[in-house]
Amino acid sequence: MDIAAQERINNLLWSAATVIFIIVGSIAIGHLARIIARARGLSEGDQRKVYWGFMFASPWIIGFVIFVVGPALASLYYSFTNYRLGKSIDYIGLDNYRTLLLGQGAQGRRFMDAMFNSFYYMVVGVPLQIVVSLGMALLLNQNLRGMRIFRLIFYLPVILAGGPAILLAWRYMLAGNGGFVNITLQGAAHSFFLIDWLYRTFIFAVEAFNSFYQGIATGDALGPFKYAVPALIGFALLLSFVRGEWTESRQNRARTVVEIIGGALTVILVARGLVAEPLDPSLIYGIGAAAALAALGAVLNDQPRRVRLWQIIPLLLGGVTLIGLILTGNPDLALYIPAVVIAAVPLLLTLFIRVKRTRTLVLLGGALVLALIVLIRLIPGQLDNGGLAIIPQYLTFGTTIQQPSSLDYLNKAYNTTTPVALWFYGLVVAVLLGLVLSNNRYPRAQKIVIYVGTVVFALILVSSALDGVRFFKDYDAISAAAGTPNYHFALFNQAVAAFPNDNRVPLWMGNQLWAKPSLILITVWSSGAAMLIFLAALKGVPKQLYESAEVDGANRWQQFWKITLPMISPALFYNIVIGVIAALQTFETIYILQTPDTQESLASAAYFLFTRTFTQLEIGQGAAVSWILAVIIVLATVLQFRYSRWVHYEA
Amino acid sequence: MTTLNPVAVNSTPPIRRSLIARIVQIIDPRALIIYVILLVASLFFLFPMAWMAGTSLKTIQEVGQPQLSLLPAVPQWVNYTKLFNDENFYRSYANSLFVVTMVLLGTVTSITLVSYAFSRLEWKGRNIVFALMLGTLMLPAQATLVPQYVLFYNLGWIRTFNPIIIPGFFAGGAALIFLLRQFMLGIPKELDEAAMIDGANPLQIWWYIILPLSRPAIATITVFLFVGQWNNLVQPLIYLQRAELYTMPIYVAQKNNLQESPLPWQDVMAASVLFVIPVLVVFFFTQRYFVEGIQMTGSKG
Repeated sequence: MDIAAQERINNLLWSAATVIFIIVGSIAIGHLARIIARARGLSEGDQRKVYWGFMFASPWIIGFVIFVVGPALASLYYSFTNYRLGKSIDYIGLDNYRTLLLGQGAQGRRFMDAMFNSFYYMVVGVPLQIVVSLGMALLLNQNLRGMRIFRLIFYLPVILAGGPAILLAWRYMLAGNGGFVNITLQGAAHSFFLIDWLYRTFIFAVEAFNSFYQGIATGDALGPFKYAVPALIGFALLLSFVRGEWTESRQNRARTVVEIIGGALTVILVARGLVAEPLDPSLIYGIGAAAALAALGAVLNDQPRRVRLWQIIPLLLGGVTLIGLILTGNPDLALYIPAVVIAAVPLLLTLFIRVKRTRTLVLLGGALVLALIVLIRLIPGQLDNGGLAIIPQYLTFGTTIQQPSSLDYLNKAYNTTTPVALWFYGLVVAVLLGLVLSNNRYPRAQKIVIYVGTVVFALILVSSALDGVRFFKDYDAISAAAGTPNYHFALFNQAVAAFPNDNRVPLWMGNQLWAKPSLILITVWSSGAAMLIFLAALKGVPKQLYESAEVDGANRWQQFWKITLPMISPALFYNIVIGVIAALQTFETIYILQTPDTQESLASAAYFLFTRTFTQLEIGQGAAVSWILAVIIVLATVLQFRYSRWVHYEA
Repeated sequence: MTTLNPVAVNSTPPIRRSLIARIVQIIDPRALIIYVILLVASLFFLFPMAWMAGTSLKTIQEVGQPQLSLLPAVPQWVNYTKLFNDENFYRSYANSLFVVTMVLLGTVTSITLVSYAFSRLEWKGRNIVFALMLGTLMLPAQATLVPQYVLFYNLGWIRTFNPIIIPGFFAGGAALIFLLRQFMLGIPKELDEAAMIDGANPLQIWWYIILPLSRPAIATITVFLFVGQWNNLVQPLIYLQRAELYTMPIYVAQKNNLQESPLPWQDVMAASVLFVIPVLVVFFFTQRYFVEGIQMTGSKG
């Protein structure tokens, strides 16, 4: 008898055994529940209800214990070990997390790449998906014939995209050389000059963006660009508040954005700071100082619940750092212990002080001390070699690269600034902005801050961008003159060196710069589920709203922003949550589409988990990855629910 | 209709529309633009499927050269007969059918039981258990994937169908339980009470009253499970690890890894076509349930 048939019979027997097991187990749980109910003195009728209820629910209860609780606990344990299947288990403490979160070694590097890829899918893929599916839903919501058929057609890709078949078809269509998509695009480009121009611009934009992203992801020195990114965030945020009144809702929006940015950065920095070895207290103190300042802002604004939260964070971080410092015997101990004590005492004290004025003053003291420590650490340039001093220079368009002469000089001036420093500046910007914008006492000061801040950020942005461009060019020229190959943002330099000529084609699945856009193309193609949810939401918007808006003279554009979007915001919210979680878990598409060339640039967090655990059998590290992922997903979900205030659940 | 089509409304008597007005409605420029956009979009959404079908009938020469024609000069049905003569293809198809059937049997049965407990029965502790169940919605599959593998490894279940099928019996899928529970909550309470007075126990009520009345929702979860399981690549990939046990997704995915150059895309696509046919058939006959199911999960927010 062949093996498959044998295994099927084997499985039938196991299934039968499982059914018996579940029945027996259910009856047992039912009886047990009844005994407990009787012991707790429930009435005869309630006892019977408990018996039946638990009995019916117990297939899930048993499964929950066997397949969820047990494994989750086991994997938490494995994540602290170097377990490999078939080998002995050794406890290795935080080593797995250290490797992964700090990107140490080849595997840590791969994990970091995977996280950057997942992030790309999140910030580029999800918005595209939302826009396309919402657009489709709006079109389908017209009261015309045949919409049901179109709805079917748009949903069809969803059920196919889960399986390998259609992904293979895509792979074939997207072949770089002679694939259907490229031949069609080229044909269109050759037929009309405008299309040709658009087509080449598209190639140029995708390659430039992706090579730049890849440069950042692989940890190339960012040069002056590192100031441009936080400046861009601050500029974009403030610019949206420049026009019009500074209303309550805008204020909430600003606070939300700032808190999300600050929260995400804090989690990343804390996670990395805690597993660092030797422990790097600067970052943790920076966060502590930021939290203390935020607490101060909350006090001024009379938000007692927030004050507690913001106070507890620096205290917790300070405590953990101290323990870590003592354990690792860090030489900076003498500097930190008195500082922490001075900072912690006021923070602790204010937990018990009720008078607002006193509390403000005491808190101010604690916050200042922590801020001072951060400054002391920053001024000698321990975090980024004194890079912060450039910012005042940038405000007057004074650039820092003046007559660079050697590779050495550039390397020294822009020492490998890891994304951590970048995150740090973002965090500082976020907290400071939040602090000012959430303080209601001085509305005119807020207005001034918004105006001045916009200008400052614009200056930094322009100046550092100019400097950055020069930096890249100089780096290229100097390394060429020195006869060394330019490893620094090499792909980016190559991509922006020339506008694509007319026989260039997108390389799609065959090239590391095109692999991620290809994957996003396919996810957009299969975003019909989101479309259906939008459609259901659109159908629920009362028609009278549009009619009265029309009477008031609102045009369609205004109707969309003022009526449609707020009314469908629960659906929008749901789709974003689902999209973000799916972006982290992308697996099948990558498995089918990857080639040896593109594997690295496609791999998502879930794909890394898969290769690490099931092809290399590193259970310990795999478990650590799965816990990091689980925490990120839960945090993302919580964060999104927490900040869903803009969602209108009722009409 | 008023906002969309003022011409038709203005020019027709309120009760019966004249022929001219209906023609005017058909060539309404706004509608025309929308239809054109929708048709172009449909092309984008449907084309990969058409390309798959077209390629599966081409010769290797046609596949190899860069060309745009969707259809082959002469349909090569031999690509399919080759598959029908392939023992691996048959076995994979049979394996897939077996796995899907078993998963559906186990999961649907257990989910109806559990949803019944969460919707129709009132018992102390229900809210706690239900909250726990909803909590698992948040827990990503990744958190338990690795240790589950260790569990099945220790049970000696690697290279068997058990790891894919057996967990289904334990009502896997919190989202589906939630969907069915929501539906069951909508069934009138009086039916249970009447049956209870007639002396029926909960098991009988479940079987004779709730199951028949929940048929649409059960159909919904069944089609979802079917499509999900038919396409399921990850778990078979992790657990089967043995050519004889491969299900169709692995069989198709493996065609891609052949070391042949150029890749015989016509064979790959022929296997792909045969792979998607069951899903397409199920989809076309049950699309109503898909739409309702998706919109039900989404509307809970």
